Amino acid sequence: MDRVEKPNVAPVLAPGHSVGSITDKIASVILQKTPRWWYFGFGIAFLLFMLLQLALFVLFVKGVGVWGINIPVGWGFAIINFVWWIGIGHAGTLISAILLLLRQDWRTSINRFAEAMTIFAVACAGLFPLIHVGRPWLAYWLFPYPNTMGLWPQFRSPLMWDVFAVSTYATISLLFWYLGLIPDLATMRDRAKSKVAKIIYGVFAMGWRGSVKHWHEHEVASLLLAGLATPLVLSVHSVVSFDFSIGIIPGWHTTIFPPYFVAGAIFAGFAMVITLAVPLRKLFGMYDLITERHLDNMGKIMLATGLIVAYGYAMEAFTAWYSGNIYEWFMVYNRATGPYRWHWYALFLCNIAAVQLLWIKKVRLNPIYLWIIAMFVNVGMWLERFIIVVTSLHRDFLPSSWGYYKGTIWDWATYIGSIGLFLFLFFLFVRFVPMIAIFEVKTLLPEAKGRSGNE
Amino acid sequence: MDYLKVPEEVKGIKKYALAAAAGGFLVMGALYFFLPGTVFFASYLVGYLFWLTIALGILGWLTLHHMTGGGWGIMVRRISEAAVYTIPFLAVFIIPVLFGIHHLYHWSEAEAVAHDPILAHKAPYLNVPFFILRTVFYFAVWIFLVFRLLKLSLEQDKTGDAVIYNKLYRVSAPGFLLLFLTATFASFDWLMSLDPHWFSSIYGVWFASGAALSGMSFLALWAIILYSREPLSEYKRLVYFHDYGKLMFAFVMFWAYISFSQFLIIWSGNLPEEIIFYIPRIRGKWLPLSVFLLIGHFVLPFLLLLSARIKKDFGKLSKIAIWLLFMHWIDIFWNVFPSLKIGESYSILFAILANVAVTVMVGGVFFYFFISRLEKMPLLPVKEPFLREALESE
Repeated sequence: MDRVEKPNVAPVLAPGHSVGSITDKIASVILQKTPRWWYFGFGIAFLLFMLLQLALFVLFVKGVGVWGINIPVGWGFAIINFVWWIGIGHAGTLISAILLLLRQDWRTSINRFAEAMTIFAVACAGLFPLIHVGRPWLAYWLFPYPNTMGLWPQFRSPLMWDVFAVSTYATISLLFWYLGLIPDLATMRDRAKSKVAKIIYGVFAMGWRGSVKHWHEHEVASLLLAGLATPLVLSVHSVVSFDFSIGIIPGWHTTIFPPYFVAGAIFAGFAMVITLAVPLRKLFGMYDLITERHLDNMGKIMLATGLIVAYGYAMEAFTAWYSGNIYEWFMVYNRATGPYRWHWYALFLCNIAAVQLLWIKKVRLNPIYLWIIAMFVNVGMWLERFIIVVTSLHRDFLPSSWGYYKGTIWDWATYIGSIGLFLFLFFLFVRFVPMIAIFEVKTLLPEAKGRSGNE
Repeated sequence: MDYLKVPEEVKGIKKYALAAAAGGFLVMGALYFFLPGTVFFASYLVGYLFWLTIALGILGWLTLHHMTGGGWGIMVRRISEAAVYTIPFLAVFIIPVLFGIHHLYHWSEAEAVAHDPILAHKAPYLNVPFFILRTVFYFAVWIFLVFRLLKLSLEQDKTGDAVIYNKLYRVSAPGFLLLFLTATFASFDWLMSLDPHWFSSIYGVWFASGAALSGMSFLALWAIILYSREPLSEYKRLVYFHDYGKLMFAFVMFWAYISFSQFLIIWSGNLPEEIIFYIPRIRGKWLPLSVFLLIGHFVLPFLLLLSARIKKDFGKLSKIAIWLLFMHWIDIFWNVFPSLKIGESYSILFAILANVAVTVMVGGVFFYFFISRLEKMPLLPVKEPFLREALESE
């Protein structure tokens, strides 16, 4: 074949690594003395987690009246936060399942902590419907189980489907994460210095010896779980979107909702992955493992999904006009000019305008800019759910029943507290578990090429 | 690389393609006098959009490939380029649809708009001059994109310059975006407005999902045809055929997901202005076709494509690809005919014949230019920087 010029593509793994140096690098994060910043960060996260517990205590004692919800806005922060958190989880599943099936090797150095992020985000998400039911001690009524009262949940309600969608999602995500962890937990067992740590890692490593049989079954199980998790990336958030679109409230009832929610979820999830990856890369000096290529690719995915979200907004607004339905059109008009217009403008700034900077390669390769844009998206996606939930409810068909909603101090305490819970779990995770998949990163080494096919 | 030429028996298709185009044209011309205008033009729209959506779907895959890279795209790049090359020629064949506006689109009649406040509301968008202007605009965008990509690809063949790789990437990113937007509005104009009261914000995504699936089926089919013959047979790599099968499988599910989402939301909301789309389709004479669509476009291909063995089997995968192309035709038909108000006073046989004739006619044109283009370039992008890596796989 003739000589052809190769375009420059940044490597996924910086050159100069060997099998041993990768293990050293990742395992040293856990084996070294706890850095001072960790105590500091963990302390703040723990305080916020305490705030969540306080907010829940007040809620359980006094009831949902401490929140801002009332008629006409009966769904407030709890649903907004639920959708926000569950959306964040999606990037982890996309990275670990879909990118695995698509043979995208760059995913290997970010999938572990992205999956951890998924699980912690789903834990935070799952909290909100439970505390929103009013009598959380009866939350098990959500499950269809034969009971003496002859009482069944409404199977035609998307809220019921949510119970199945989210619990399936949590189960598969947890299994997938744990399965991937096993070989690395065995590495930690072998490397840990204290007896207690050896025993604990040993128990969780479930007797992993690294035999060919182990590896073979591990790989088969990974592919099977990836296959199972792939439809979940689409289905979970589609079911969440049905919570809204199955009803006939203008602003909720539109057919674009399922794919648009899914894209929004991946968008929000990648923003959160970047939010976590950029500081981790700096604090642990992981520049060789989380390279410019990762920043570039994550920036691109955020841009692509952000554009799909913008497409969703455009379709929603266009059909609202095109339908000729005055209530649909009023909803759009009210969003742009009503009492929540500043939320709406801020949403455009965060989710559409800010993201366009990612067209520029320099911006994608600069961790600081990328992190700032990701923070805009984190805020923007929360605002998006606020706009969807609140603006559609607060002014309905009859002007006499219009109202105004805002979160109370307990709404905010619960929301900020849930971020505390998330960070609390995440700080524990980076301290005690290898945050990058050691054995998977090794497949990126030149000597592993040609041997690692997942067929 | 003179030896990477189209096999003779494939070249022979051109003659048949011309004959099919001419024959289809004659039958179509004769049927014009025997069928009501609505039936005639609706048949035309179905057959025409069937081929156009395949070409557009492939344009989507081609731009996506230039953005993401990957061996699957390199191996079918020439097939993709030949398929999108038909778009400028297919553009001419939209003209009969424009002549049929008054037969197809209720909103185009001043009389109807005057008595219908909803249509009057939509008139700033749904009016004849703007409709034609938009159609011209969509084609202008697509043709520009096609010429740009083909020109760069030819240059790459000559010089092998790495800059071209980046240029293709840079054209494809905004190109894909524009393609998606224009295709969305094209689907609103040409299909959704057949029932001018009805609306669905997911419709553009449905259109894209069908185009992507049929485009991938076409690519898989032609990859099988060319890679099982000289001279490409020595470059056959099974892993990519597995990939095409996987992509078809993914889009069989995606199409079903989008179609079902639209159905579930509209059915459960049951609002009069939305449910009008489904009433003729789930009640009465179109119900069997709806069931057939569900089984043929989703259930059957889903079950078959689950198997990795079938995805790697040339004979079986090509049969599934042909079946999916047929179901894509049914899907468009299903979106056109039940939306129209057609009396009973016409011959069903002639209507079926019209549908077949126009599909054959436009298909003839499509294949003539498709094969012509295939002949012009080596069957592999010989100076693509990652061709060597692509061929290293099993």
